[in-house]
This record gives sequence, structure tokens and C-alpha cells, in this order.
Amino acid sequence: MNIFDGIISGFFIALTPGNLLFAFLGALIGTAVGVLPGLGPAATIALLLPITYSIPSPVPAVIMMAGIYYGAMYGGSTTSILLNLPGEAASVVTCIDGYKMAQKGRAGPALGIAAIGSFIAGTVSVVGLTLFAPPIAEFALSFGPPEKFSLALLGLLMAVTLSGDSITKGLVVMVLGLLLSAVGIDPISGKSRFDFGVTELQSGFDFVTIAVGVFGLGEIAYNLEREGSVEIITTKVGQVFPKMADWAKSRLAILRGTLIGFFIGIIPGGGAVISSLVSYAVEKKISRHPEEFGQGAIEGVAGPESANNAASSASFIPLLTLGIPGNAAIAMIFACLLIKGVKPGPFLIVEHPDVFWGVIASMYVGNIMLIILNLPLVGVWVQLLRVPYGILAPVVILFTAIGSYSIANQAFDLYALIAFGVLGYVLRRLKIEAGPLPLAFILGPMIEGSMRQSLLMSGGSFLIFVSRPISFTIVGLFTLFVLGQVVFAVRRARRSPKIETAV
Amino acid sequence: MKRILVSSIIFTLVAVLMVGGTASAQDKFPSKPITVIVPFSAGGSTDLLARAVEKIWPKSSPQPLVIVNKPGGGGVVGTEFVVRSKPDGYTLFLGYGSGHDVVMPHLQKMPYDPYKDLVAVSRLSIHSVVICTGAKSEFNSIKDMIAWAKKENKPVTSSVSTKAGAVDISITALGKEAGINIVTVPFAGGADAVTTLAGGHVMIGGGHPSEVMPHIKAGRFKPLAVALPERDASLPNVPTLKEQGVNVYTWGSIKGVAAPAATPKEVVDYLDATFKKVCGDDEFKKMMVDLDQPIMYQDSAAFAKFLQQAYGDYGKLIKDLNISIQ
Repeated sequence: MNIFDGIISGFFIALTPGNLLFAFLGALIGTAVGVLPGLGPAATIALLLPITYSIPSPVPAVIMMAGIYYGAMYGGSTTSILLNLPGEAASVVTCIDGYKMAQKGRAGPALGIAAIGSFIAGTVSVVGLTLFAPPIAEFALSFGPPEKFSLALLGLLMAVTLSGDSITKGLVVMVLGLLLSAVGIDPISGKSRFDFGVTELQSGFDFVTIAVGVFGLGEIAYNLEREGSVEIITTKVGQVFPKMADWAKSRLAILRGTLIGFFIGIIPGGGAVISSLVSYAVEKKISRHPEEFGQGAIEGVAGPESANNAASSASFIPLLTLGIPGNAAIAMIFACLLIKGVKPGPFLIVEHPDVFWGVIASMYVGNIMLIILNLPLVGVWVQLLRVPYGILAPVVILFTAIGSYSIANQAFDLYALIAFGVLGYVLRRLKIEAGPLPLAFILGPMIEGSMRQSLLMSGGSFLIFVSRPISFTIVGLFTLFVLGQVVFAVRRARRSPKIETAV
Repeated sequence: MKRILVSSIIFTLVAVLMVGGTASAQDKFPSKPITVIVPFSAGGSTDLLARAVEKIWPKSSPQPLVIVNKPGGGGVVGTEFVVRSKPDGYTLFLGYGSGHDVVMPHLQKMPYDPYKDLVAVSRLSIHSVVICTGAKSEFNSIKDMIAWAKKENKPVTSSVSTKAGAVDISITALGKEAGINIVTVPFAGGADAVTTLAGGHVMIGGGHPSEVMPHIKAGRFKPLAVALPERDASLPNVPTLKEQGVNVYTWGSIKGVAAPAATPKEVVDYLDATFKKVCGDDEFKKMMVDLDQPIMYQDSAAFAKFLQQAYGDYGKLIKDLNISIQ
């Protein structure tokens, strides 16, 4: 069966009324899960797994699970933009400009462009998945520890571009994020670090707790301080849909974000986060008005949101073609397939063409359902900002707490959540952009683990990072980026006195 | 639209709350759903085993199982939760005999005694350690690998799931017994370690059958040896290390069920009998074949005795190999 026959047969499977219903259910639950802060797709799929036991065929179950997963990516941008609450790692970047836009009464266009970008990125990467899955899977495998180290290091550099006006402040929060990521069992020696005898700390902090605490709770605490001005922000809803000018600005950002997300997203572990960071950095670098980034630039929402959606579709490639689950939610879909007697991997396409093509075809359908579902919802979500802050804030805190608890079903995460809320408040008061903190937290273990793994492989020689072609290329990009930054800074320093004299 | 969204939110909430639900009926056991704590992440091999059991369990019991993942501390967090829960048979722990019960107590202080504070219910499976190499590798057996390392006088690199885990101990023991230098590169779990071998970044690697079988079937891995005393039922064609002249074995990762120590004997007996029925079920057998997990049922008494042996064997290996994590 060639690709064309395959995808056609897939559509015959995906378009049966039953499967359409499951795709819709998946998209709907996914959107809800994405919107609810803290409750992630992995936990939801785990909860719903027993329900799928009664469905005899694996296809509808997997169609629904997949829908939940990419639907959550769509919904994830909503709370980031409206409430400064990133539901998962890849949405942190969306918060930076998305929330600023909402504060300026442009929540509608931000949500709208996020939905449109997600749709384009989701669809384009499913096309990519249809056409090039096997060769791309081989490319993903070529990322060993040295390549992952270089990539994560590049990601860390990109994270500093989020730091707003002061690079120094950005570096301070970045180091804080790296330090927090060091808590828990050392991946190489197996020794528990900084746990102070607390068993729960041995597994380290959870990303969701940190992101939701530092961003969401910190923001709420800060807003409570200035009662009057909050009312103004929340009632100023403004227009609902993006204007032509917004679209013109975002068009290329969406395309670039899609490509970046597709290629970086297939790398198991951290691909989606790094792709949203790279997209943001690229948009800021090539923009004619980089000073708008961090103040509500629509490209800063469009690019990274497209990147993380492209990455979420791309992460199905290692699963479907190699049987490698790249993240927790994909691992749950993997589990669901195995329990149904279907083994994801190189033989999936031969042994179970109905699953392989049916799921891929359902992703086209699901993306269309999501855009139809989400565009009208933009109007509804924006109305959310009209809810008095005295009601909205406690509800948000409640959901945040449920989400944090559900990660490992332990009360400890609630205390950690409060502590990170305090940290977020302090950072907000000190006018420090918190963005680099959760991102450094994600990248820290990747950098540490893969560097030490690489050095074990090479017998201690650092040449391993430049003697392999992919790693060499990434290290080269890193070096160029740093040098470019230095040259840029020197030029600006020379030019600025002239501007002063002109004034 | 809004109403559907609200009801799905409520549904999710109810589902979350149900997990922690309690009933106080004093009727014949079981009179309410039984919570099974899996102290590892959802989607891992222990979780898959638990979900296969969950699916078959209602055939033999009036009450269902509810799986709750409580990952953390390498399994200690979830296990401690079971140790401290009410010994009424409604809170069980699946994964008894994994690294945190048979390896970790030799290396660090534990917040509980895995043998005195828990009672063994049934053994379900053993996840052995399968040592593999890439399809393009020049090694076709353990002997080839040893010969290469001695001739070239170079270290053999190996990806392992975690430091001081079953895979690491098995491969380190192999290196010592064979008198060659094997550098074990630890990862954050079995999936990462296996993926790294699949990419050809290390010479050999180890993993449980469920992790390596997809790659063996795809022709990407060549299995070199199984590190058990006997061959593994899920890979009957792969010889043991001992058969290849290396006198080393481990017990891999044992997967059994335990309950808090003070659980009444008749409740333990009921649970054990039900797990035995599950293990004999044809649909369960088929699922376990699909999951590449051999069914290795043992009853409560035999399992408790077996665990003492496995614990002792690991203790001796750890002492001989001078493994420490401090």
C-alpha cells in the first residue's frame, strides 16, 4: 500500500460516524484539559484509559487519546494568554507576549492568532507526518547525548532572549531555574541532592508546579495588591478577532514556527519546549521592531504557538514508526495501544494499517474540529475576563491546586505550589521577567545529564561535542549567535551617544 | 457548547475525587473498589502490567481495581504511602520486588522496612535484563564482545536505565566477571537508554524485554544475553550469560503485589487467589505476550521466600562490585 492509498483508506476509517464522535470527544476534552491550569493531557489520558477497555477496536480509543493530546496543546495557550498561567512547558513562551496583549485589551486577537497558528501548524505537520515519517524518525535517532547537550545549550541561550530589558536579571532567574532543577536524584551518580531528608524532594520539583506557581499565583498575588487597576484590565476586552494587520504580521511567523516545531519537535524529550524557544528567538531577531517583544508583539504569540503544535503532531512520528514514546502523554497513548494488543513501531504500518492511517487521518479531521471549536470559544474566553477578579482568582487557585495535586497524587506539591507563588510575587515586585526560570528548569537536567553521558562515552574528551556533524553544527550556531550578540551590543554602544547628541 | 465543557470539567473532577474515595462498609471483602498504587509513572512497564491486571480482575472479583500512579524517589514515595495506609486490603502496591525493594536498601537508608512493613501477596512477573547490541555491531555473542575488548584493550560503552538499577548492576557484574572494562552510561529511565542504543551512540545496552523487543523484531538490535539464572520465557532463543561462560546472574526487576503488613490473613488469601485466577486467564496470557512480560506467578508464602533470596543475591553482588551511590 502506498502513501496515497493508505491515507485514503485512513479517511474512510476516520470519517465513520463513530470515529468522528471519538475524535470530537478527544478534541473537546483536550481543549478543556488545556484550558484547566495544571491538569495535563497525560493525567487525563491515564484517568480515561479504563473507559477504553470496553471499546473493542483500538482505533476509536487511540483517535480519542490523540485528540486529547493535541487538543490540549490548542487549549494550553488560553490560560497563558488570559491569566499568565502556562499549563505545560511549551506554553511558557506564549505567556510573555500573550499576557501583555491581554492586558492591553488585545486578548481576542492573541487567542485568535494562537488558534489559527495552531491549526496551520497542526495540519502542515500532519502532512509532513503522512509523507516523511520513516526517514524523519531516523533523523530523530541520530540525536544522541552530545547532540542533545548542544541543542539544550542553544535552548538555554534562547531562553535569555526572553529576559526583557536586562540580560543580568535574565541570567539571575536562569541560574535560579538551573539550581531548582538540580534538586532530586542525580541522574548519573544516583545520589539524592538537596532533599533535606524529605522523600518527596528526591524526585525533584515538578515543572507544572513551578510554572503555575511562579506565573499564575505570583500574578494573582501581585494583582491583589493593586485592586483598582485590575478592574480596568479585566473589563477591557476589546476586539475579538485578529485584524488584517495582525494576520499580515503573523503569517510568516506561523510558517517559520511550523517548520521549527516540526523538525525540533521530533527529538524525544524536550523537543517541543526548545522549538517554541527557538521560534521566539528567531522572530525577535528578524523583527524590524524587536523592542515590541515582551510588550505584546503578536508574532511572539503566533510563532511559538505554531511551533509547539507542530511539535506535538511531530512527536507521534517516533511513536508510530519506532515505538519510542517521547513524552508522558505519548507514553500513555503507547500504553493504550499495547493494552489493545497493538504494538507501535516499525511494523505498525504493516500489521495494523487501520490504526496507523486511521489515526493520521483523524488528526486532519481533529485539527479542523479544533479550529471550529476554538474560534467561537475565543469570544467566550474573552468574556472570562469580565468575571470580577474576586471570583476569578479563587477559582483559578482552586483549579491550579487540583492540577498540582493530580501530578503525583501527593499533598507535598501543594506546599511547593504556594512556595513558588511567593517566589513569583517577589520576582514580579522586583520587575524581573520570570520566563527564563521554568525554561532553565526544563533544560537544566538535559544539559547536565547529556553532558555527563557524552563525557562518559568519550572517556572525558570534550572533543565529542565538535567531532560529530550535528553537534558541531549546533555548537557553531551557538557560537555565531553569541558573537553576533556581542557585535550588536558593541555597535549599539557606539551609536547611542550620537542619538543623545541628536536629541 | 459551554454546558458540554462544564460537564466534562465536572466529569474530570469527579473522576479525580473518586480515586481518593472511601467507603465504610464492613461487609465481606471486597465491598468497595480496591486501590492499587503503582509507584512508577503511567505508561511504564509496571504500569502496563497493572493495567492488564485491572482489565481482567473484574472477571474474578465483584469489585474493580483502581490504578493510581504515585511516582517519585525511584518508587519509595508510592510504596511508603501503602506502608502507611490502612491495612484493610483496599490499598495495595504493585511492583513489589523492583529495585527500590531489593537493591536500594543495600545502598541507602529507607523510610520503611520493605520486608517487615509489607506482606507479600503474589508474584506476577519478572522483568529480566536483556543485553543487546546494534544490528550493525560486529558482536554476535558475549564472547565476541569480551574478545574484542581484550584484543583492542578499549572500554565497551553501555547505556543503562539508571545508576545502580538492575541493568547497571547486571552489566557491571558482567564486566567484572569477564575481566573487561565496561563503561555504563546511566539515563533517566529505560526508554532513554534503549533509544540511545537504537541511535548507535553506545556499543551495547540493556533493557527489559518490553523495552528491547520492538527493536529486536525490527532488526535494529541483536540480543546477546539474558542476565537471569534461566532463560526468559518471553525470549526463549536468547542464551543466558551463564550459558556463554560468564558466571553472573541477577533477578532483573521483580513485579509482585504487596499489602501493608497488618492486613488480615484471609484478605491476603482472597487477593492472592484472585491474582492467581487473573494469571490463569487466557485473555491475560495473550495480553502479557503482547506486552513481552512473562507470567511468573507465585503465591504469598513462596513469593515472600523468593524475595529474601533475591534481596540476598543483590546484596552480595553490590558488595562484590563495590557499588555505592554516596
